Amino acid sequence: MNWSTNIPIRHIALAFITALLVIVSLIGGFSAYQTRAVAHSLEQHNQNAARSELAAAVERLLSQTKEQALNLARWDETRQQLVLPEYYPYWRDQRVYESSMLSRRFARAGLYTPSGTLLAPGSVNRYLPARLQADSSPGEMTLWLANEAGAIALYASIPVYGEIQRQTLLGYSLIRVDFMPALLRQETLHFTHASSVSLALKPGETLATSELFSRLNFKAQPDPNQRLFQTILSRTLLALFVLLVASALLGFAIYNRLLVRPLGQLSQDIDDMQHGHFSAKPSRSHPMRISELENIRRSLYEYQLQLRVLHGSLENQNREFHSQARQDSLTGCHNRRAYDEDWENFRQEVKTAPQGVAFLLFDCDRFKAINDTYGHAKGDRVLSIIADALVMALRANDRLYRLGGDEFATFLSRTTPTQAKQIAQRCQSLLDAATFADLGIKEPIGISIGIAFCAPEALGHIDDLPKQADIAMYTAKLPGRNRIALYGEDTERASQTLVASRETSALFQALSTPGMIELHYQPIFSLPSHTVGYHEALARIRYNGDLIMPEAFLPVIGSRRLETQFDLAVLHQIDADLSSGQLPAGCGVSINLSAQSLSSPDIASHLMELSRHSADHPLMLEITETSLITQINAVHTYLELLRTVNYRIAMDDFGTGYSPLRYLVDLPVDVVKFDISLVNKLGEDNRAGQVVADFARLMTDVGYALVAEGVETAAALRRVESLGFAHVQGYLLGRPVPLAQLADAAAGAMPDANDSMLA
Amino acid sequence: MRPGIPASAEYLAGERGKPAVLLVHGFLQTRDFPTVTTLARGLHDAGYTVLSPTLSLNIPGRKQSLACEAVHKHSLDDDVAEIGRWIHWLKSQGHPTIVLLGHSFGSMQLLAYLSAKPDAAVQGYLGASLIAAQIGSTDRSTLIAQLEERVLNKQRDLVNQPLSFCRKYPSTPEGLLSYVRWDQARVLASLKRSPVDVQLIMGDADDMMGGGWLKALQHMQVPMAVVKGANHFMNGEHEFDLLDNALKYLDVVKPHPPR
Repeated sequence: MNWSTNIPIRHIALAFITALLVIVSLIGGFSAYQTRAVAHSLEQHNQNAARSELAAAVERLLSQTKEQALNLARWDETRQQLVLPEYYPYWRDQRVYESSMLSRRFARAGLYTPSGTLLAPGSVNRYLPARLQADSSPGEMTLWLANEAGAIALYASIPVYGEIQRQTLLGYSLIRVDFMPALLRQETLHFTHASSVSLALKPGETLATSELFSRLNFKAQPDPNQRLFQTILSRTLLALFVLLVASALLGFAIYNRLLVRPLGQLSQDIDDMQHGHFSAKPSRSHPMRISELENIRRSLYEYQLQLRVLHGSLENQNREFHSQARQDSLTGCHNRRAYDEDWENFRQEVKTAPQGVAFLLFDCDRFKAINDTYGHAKGDRVLSIIADALVMALRANDRLYRLGGDEFATFLSRTTPTQAKQIAQRCQSLLDAATFADLGIKEPIGISIGIAFCAPEALGHIDDLPKQADIAMYTAKLPGRNRIALYGEDTERASQTLVASRETSALFQALSTPGMIELHYQPIFSLPSHTVGYHEALARIRYNGDLIMPEAFLPVIGSRRLETQFDLAVLHQIDADLSSGQLPAGCGVSINLSAQSLSSPDIASHLMELSRHSADHPLMLEITETSLITQINAVHTYLELLRTVNYRIAMDDFGTGYSPLRYLVDLPVDVVKFDISLVNKLGEDNRAGQVVADFARLMTDVGYALVAEGVETAAALRRVESLGFAHVQGYLLGRPVPLAQLADAAAGAMPDANDSMLA
Repeated sequence: MRPGIPASAEYLAGERGKPAVLLVHGFLQTRDFPTVTTLARGLHDAGYTVLSPTLSLNIPGRKQSLACEAVHKHSLDDDVAEIGRWIHWLKSQGHPTIVLLGHSFGSMQLLAYLSAKPDAAVQGYLGASLIAAQIGSTDRSTLIAQLEERVLNKQRDLVNQPLSFCRKYPSTPEGLLSYVRWDQARVLASLKRSPVDVQLIMGDADDMMGGGWLKALQHMQVPMAVVKGANHFMNGEHEFDLLDNALKYLDVVKPHPPR
């Protein structure tokens, strides 16, 4: 039996009652068996008693018969009749009985002559033998039995003498007794069943009394007390059994009503409670008769009431928790969890109801710098204000999700690219209108918005929307952008970045696999000689034979904060390139570093290591100005250290980032690279162009070496040359080339080592 | 005492010089009747030879008193004959003088014997509680006539007629007739004509025959001793009165010299 199986209490009750009935039946059967054994013993005892009793009765009858025969033979009147038998019939039929010599009912008397012949034979004497048996002894009494037509007769004959001396034989007297009636009339038969007594004697057969008992058949009289005892016991057992069965059934019914049913109800209620079903009209409102069960019922009922209240409270809390779990505690908008759920649901919904879908990704510009500068509390407030502005700008049913940090997102249903852009612009407008002066933040705070759109007929690519928006958002963040970019429209090389997942894989693989990062070297020409002064090392990733450009993987680096790792990998590759000897001797190399890497000890250490090549290849570090340098002092210290090992410091993309003048003042910058946007201004004949030109001239005057980026026309070349720019960089003069190609080209024209790094 | 009917008697031998007493019991009784036994013992003690028979009443070796309801095939004649045989037997035993002593019906039977041809050895008669044959309320003459007719017609059917103290007494007609004939008159006459000395011993409380019987006997002037207070059986203390009176009578009887 598997005891782990639950057994219903009803079955236990049934088993108990069944066992009880079986035990009672066994006891009853055992009692009946014992009773039968006792009855059998009593029957045997009765049989023995009957045997003894019958033997005594037979002996008594024989004794009586003998006595009667003897008295008859000694009776004077018997002798009278033997001598003077004239009135013998009177004597035989009347006198014998009147004198009480014999019983008229069972006995007959007869007299025989000395020769054994019956006196006065005739019909009256038909019961008596006409002659005595030949073996009748003349001197002794003779007894025998005979079956006469089915009637058993007991005969006793005795000789009668005329005098005491027994000399004169007068004849014989005979007594015939109806044996069975005489035997059975005796009132002493208590144990013998009278009607069962019979003598095995054939008709006409005679039997000596000595053999009488052996031929006697009989049965014991059933003991009425025994019968009564058996009857009473049987009835008692039957009544007991019926009573027990009735009691068991009644007990089971009561047990079922008082215990099983309430327990079942309680169990059902508990099961309902387990499954969260709360009956409006619980049966437990009916009181139970068993006090313990009533206590349980009451406790359960109260517990259920409490549980119901608790359940309601929990449901409210769950709803609240669910809401909170989906809500960003800082901004009040939906959080990442809500985004994941809603986006998944949204994806499923639009598949069944095709419509135009737009995914908008918001990212606060330079939020980390703000956070670091003004503290997290104010950073949080900035995020909250941004969220409020975005929520206000979105449509009523649109939801704003904070994906993490300063990144927000929303997806718009039933929209078009134009509507999406309008919403994005409304977001920027509202945010621009917001004031952060109360927070003590003077810098303008803006957001970049990447938009990805999926037409109703292209919903199969809806899963690409977040990535496309991510790409668009970084496109929007690029310097010179208007901070709103629609994927496919504003993003270049969208076809490549569409496979951003491929670039991501390539990037991570490149970070862990030396050699995958491939450096292309773009020449930077000296002015006015127009000779190659040095080369800027530009990173590419070689992945499965394809070359992945920076526009594809830089957003990944930015979003994943992989700047330092990537810069380390680039430094390793530059070290390898410099160590390979393929770069022409004296060829300087300019290395791009992100602002985040400047404060990294690993980067500093590696730069120190790399400085060993400075003797053969003058080295320059280009720090992009688009990033906010938060730790000015530390960066300054590092840069001063690097300068001691012959690194020159260049401010890259000047004019697109934060506080360019402050950087120039506070950092040991040797070279300033004018961003293409500023270079383009130089060509304009307006105040902006004049300001830039004057500023370039001013910087030249104070000793900065200026490099013009993005010079793609001869006019631009002439303009920067006239303004005193020391170097120029652009497709007009030279595109980035692989190391091998650079080595080949170097064989033709070797740059002037002294001039190469704008000393 | 008759052929084929043996009978028995108690013989108590006494002094030779004294008469032998033939003591006869009452109606249907035996010699073992207490009055008789006591009397026999007393007489024998007094030196008298006493022969106390049990009349056979035609029953061989009769030892028991005969029931009233028994078949009575005996007659007074048979009784008288049997008495005669016992007297003969006494004589054969060397008793030349015999006194007859009867009680009740035996007194009547002895009287009947004396009425016939008594033996010469018989010298005296003692009748104690003498009675006649009573037949109840039946008219005696009519009964006698009927019985005589039966006898004459040889009708052998038993006649059941009260006799003496028996209310039922089945008997042969001739047997009954022999007893019925002995009424009070015949008894008194027989007393009067007795060939020997007669002495009666009667109890004045004996009501067997009624009050007139004792007066009738006194009227006949028969020697009679009346025992005061004695009943018919003279039992108890009266047994001694009976014995004394009997001895008084016997003392005066002159025995014959032995042969």
